[in-house]
Amino acid sequence: MDILEAAFSKIWPKKGGFWGPYLMLSPAILLVGLLVLGLAYIGDTSLRTLDTSTFLFSEEWSLANYERALTEPFIRSVIWRSILGATIVTMTTLLLAFPYTYIMVRTRSAFLRKFLLIALFLPFFIGQVVRAYGWLIILGKQGIVNDILGLIGIEPLRMLFNYPSVLFGLVQYMFPFAVLMLAPALTAIPEEIEAAAESLGASWQETMLYVILPMAKSGLIGAGLVVLTLSLTDFAMPAILGGGTQDFVANAIYDQFFRTSDQGFGSSLAVLLIAIGSLLVWIIFMLVGAGTLALGAKDK
Amino acid sequence: MTFDKQIKRRDLLKTSAMLGIAGAAGSVAPSLLKAEPAKPTEIIVRAWGGPWVEALKAGVSDPFTTKTGIKVRHDLTEDNEIQPKVWAAVAQKRTPPIHINWDTTTNATKSALRGVCEDLSDLPNLKGTTDLAKPVGVDGYPIVNTYGYVYVLAYRPSAFPSGPPASYHDLLDPKFKGRLAFYNDGIGFHFPAQVAGGGKLDGIPNNMQPCWDFVSKIKTQEPLLGEDPDFVTWFQNGEIDAACTISTNALGAKRNGVDIAWTIPKEGAKFDTDGLWIPKGHSEGDLYWSREYINHALSKESQQIWLDGLGLPGVIPGLRPPPGLAGDPSYPTKPADFDRLIRISGKIQVENESEWFSKFKAIMQG
Amino acid sequence: MNKVSAVSASNVCLQFGDVHAVKNVCFELEEGRFLTVLGPSGSGKTTLLRLIAGFQQPDQGEIFIKGQTVRELAPNKRSIGMVFQRLALFPHMTAAENVAFPLKMRRFNARTISDRVKEYLHLVRLEGLGSRKINELSGGQQQRVAIARALVFEPDLLLLDEPLAALDRKLREEMQLEFRRIQKELGVTTINVTHDQREALVVSDQIIVMNYGEIQQNATPLEVYRSPSNPFVANFVGVTNLFHGMLESLKGQQVAIRISQQTLLGTSKSENSALTQGVSVQAAIRAEQIRLFRGKSENRECEAYFEGRVTDVIFEGERILYELSVAALSDAPIRIIHHDQQDFSTFEVGEMVFVGWQSRDMHVFVVD
Repeated sequence: MDILEAAFSKIWPKKGGFWGPYLMLSPAILLVGLLVLGLAYIGDTSLRTLDTSTFLFSEEWSLANYERALTEPFIRSVIWRSILGATIVTMTTLLLAFPYTYIMVRTRSAFLRKFLLIALFLPFFIGQVVRAYGWLIILGKQGIVNDILGLIGIEPLRMLFNYPSVLFGLVQYMFPFAVLMLAPALTAIPEEIEAAAESLGASWQETMLYVILPMAKSGLIGAGLVVLTLSLTDFAMPAILGGGTQDFVANAIYDQFFRTSDQGFGSSLAVLLIAIGSLLVWIIFMLVGAGTLALGAKDK
Repeated sequence: MTFDKQIKRRDLLKTSAMLGIAGAAGSVAPSLLKAEPAKPTEIIVRAWGGPWVEALKAGVSDPFTTKTGIKVRHDLTEDNEIQPKVWAAVAQKRTPPIHINWDTTTNATKSALRGVCEDLSDLPNLKGTTDLAKPVGVDGYPIVNTYGYVYVLAYRPSAFPSGPPASYHDLLDPKFKGRLAFYNDGIGFHFPAQVAGGGKLDGIPNNMQPCWDFVSKIKTQEPLLGEDPDFVTWFQNGEIDAACTISTNALGAKRNGVDIAWTIPKEGAKFDTDGLWIPKGHSEGDLYWSREYINHALSKESQQIWLDGLGLPGVIPGLRPPPGLAGDPSYPTKPADFDRLIRISGKIQVENESEWFSKFKAIMQG
Repeated sequence: MNKVSAVSASNVCLQFGDVHAVKNVCFELEEGRFLTVLGPSGSGKTTLLRLIAGFQQPDQGEIFIKGQTVRELAPNKRSIGMVFQRLALFPHMTAAENVAFPLKMRRFNARTISDRVKEYLHLVRLEGLGSRKINELSGGQQQRVAIARALVFEPDLLLLDEPLAALDRKLREEMQLEFRRIQKELGVTTINVTHDQREALVVSDQIIVMNYGEIQQNATPLEVYRSPSNPFVANFVGVTNLFHGMLESLKGQQVAIRISQQTLLGTSKSENSALTQGVSVQAAIRAEQIRLFRGKSENRECEAYFEGRVTDVIFEGERILYELSVAALSDAPIRIIHHDQQDFSTFEVGEMVFVGWQSRDMHVFVVD
């Protein structure tokens, strides 16, 4: 901060005092501004239809692309697959990440904590695509898992290129995000609270259910939102682990932009994806209250 | 020839500009009148990576540099990702990011229809080419096709002990469940499927129900769907027994030691071409030398080296087939070789592919 | 004793690595009594409480509640209410929900729960505030919720883990009395842990002073104050002056000790066998048991009598703390608490005054 301020006073001497803080905000405003600009452009393109005899877009606006997106069975199934997949992935990830985070935060063994942290971050440094290819190697017909199964006389199984393998890849990819979002929430719950619940007669299951889970709500919601939106919009896992049979919306958008050159239709899918994501987030906020993330006004 | 006239007109334009400068200097050099347009320091050719760009470099780019002294830079951006950039540049009247696009004819046809391609119909070497060089369904030569390729039925011989599959119907055997592969948008398979489903090729594009019926049958076999690199990997890892794919992929896998062969089943196989084209918006000099590059690519020497690398049939008669490919169904040369190959106009393809892709995906991912 | 103790510990030990957190602790606590475990931080008092609550298991020894060993009982199976240092109220629940929590967990009849919650909110004087969220209550109100929550299920034992430590002094003193009132009203056996000796003296029926994991003294507040069992207790409870010296002679409980050329008389409770001539001793006298005089003539029944110079005067409201330097005792600093407020007679810094005390107030301990 000091360095920043020193730099500011150099380029913005004296009278910069008032504008200084706003100036610091400018990169963020620039970023958001560019995003809005891009969205406006996409919105505009989504209303123009492609003429495949000239490969030019119509001059006038129409809702034809949206109509097509909502009526074409393939797109409908892709949208449904994305929503369902994102929901399952979110639930599963939270279910797995919660005990992991809990143990990581609570354990008295420094070794175990370090181990859990390293196990968490190691795959984080490996990109999503490389990880997906890793699963191809591990779960393939001639992969490690089938080799091991072969040792006990089980015929090689097809574990890849289906919906479960895409969801599996997504869960594995989202897991560190969820843990990182949950960790501060669980750290913030004093151990004394658990002791209190126990002394008041709660079993550990009851303590989890009635005390820890509700107190970790903001973390769970935050992690859930991140995982939900990232899974909903994911491209690489369906593309690599789906074997071409499990497209999510992002894959359909890519195809429209880069394969059939129909940016209009692709844009309409992008707008729909944004709308679906926003709708899901809105529903979650309606159910649990935006205040959970300490975003809205204080309760009452 | 209009070509010569154009050159002269261009020379004149150039010269008059020079005269202006030279006149100011007080003297006129007569040799300038005969000068070629100024050479760019380099021209940029978009290409596919790996063995593809190696073959192009050896057969076309390096000899071109030797001949003209112009360096050639290869831009390995994916063909479908460069397209919007080029279109945007032309629409905004900027200099396009590449001089020459090595593109699939189908993709290039979209650019041609959009009117972003320079006309190439007066390239001198076009005179020596076969019909294959001419793009189907567009006027003139906005694209020059440089070679053809076949979507063969590649298979693992050990999975077909009684000989190569004679028909796509052979793939419906339950033992191939989960062991087939197609392109994820069905490209290359639509047309043979139309035949396999009992339909006629002139039913394309208006009556393609037979195609979709047969795709639905194939779907019950739960095939894998992928893109070029996937097929090689899947054959290598023993994931699949048969795939409808470009012969180059099968050849690549075979050269890597994978036990693989290919055939053209009785339904036929889609034949398509790749080509070269120049986006509009380059300066006179850059355009001149880009045309020279494509003209050079149509010479027999260039074709021979380039296509030996790719293992594909070129557009100049009398090329020597690469070792082992003489008489191969994926290397058609004689008119009879084309009998079982299906060639549909680029225009029909680009106008309908979006629908075909969706339909195929809807069936496969339903 | 034929009456069964509400709580007792026999020879309880717990070690963390090389550190004896709790060492050979034995005590008994009668039903309905208020026990305070007093000690500095690190003395093992909180560990002892956690052992009783069941959050920790002793390495050795047994803890009995109502005569039954609790070794096999998990904390949620023990009938113990506990108020935690930082209260550990559930922030996502209202005050009433907090109080109802143990009733629900302990499967109380659902129909009686709300009445009972009301009853206990009334007991802690929070009637009408049950629907407030925890963060909408003041510090004192939060304390009361924590007490109600710990007591509402009528536990056999109430444990207080320094819950008042974080409060400001006025509120702390108010809550000390409130604890005492509620405890008396319900008659619940209570163990309180604190480092605040004043709190211990005010609220307790019985005090256990701990240091280094061991019990230093287990007695009534009066006894702890009047006759500390060792220099640590003497120093920890109240303001005490400590002198180092040597035993000269002994006659019954009365001992004569030599401190820097002076012979002083004191009393000792130590075993006679330890009191041999020449042994090192410490003598302790409380600051308020030393008298201050302006002139020699005012000396009435004092048995020890010295002249000293006032070095500091600290006005504490209801009392004044003087610090003196006494030449006869090698300028040892002596602290004196003066309560005589009737004539507001104060002494100035630098003034020469006389100090004196009775020999029965000087406690002599043999140094180990």
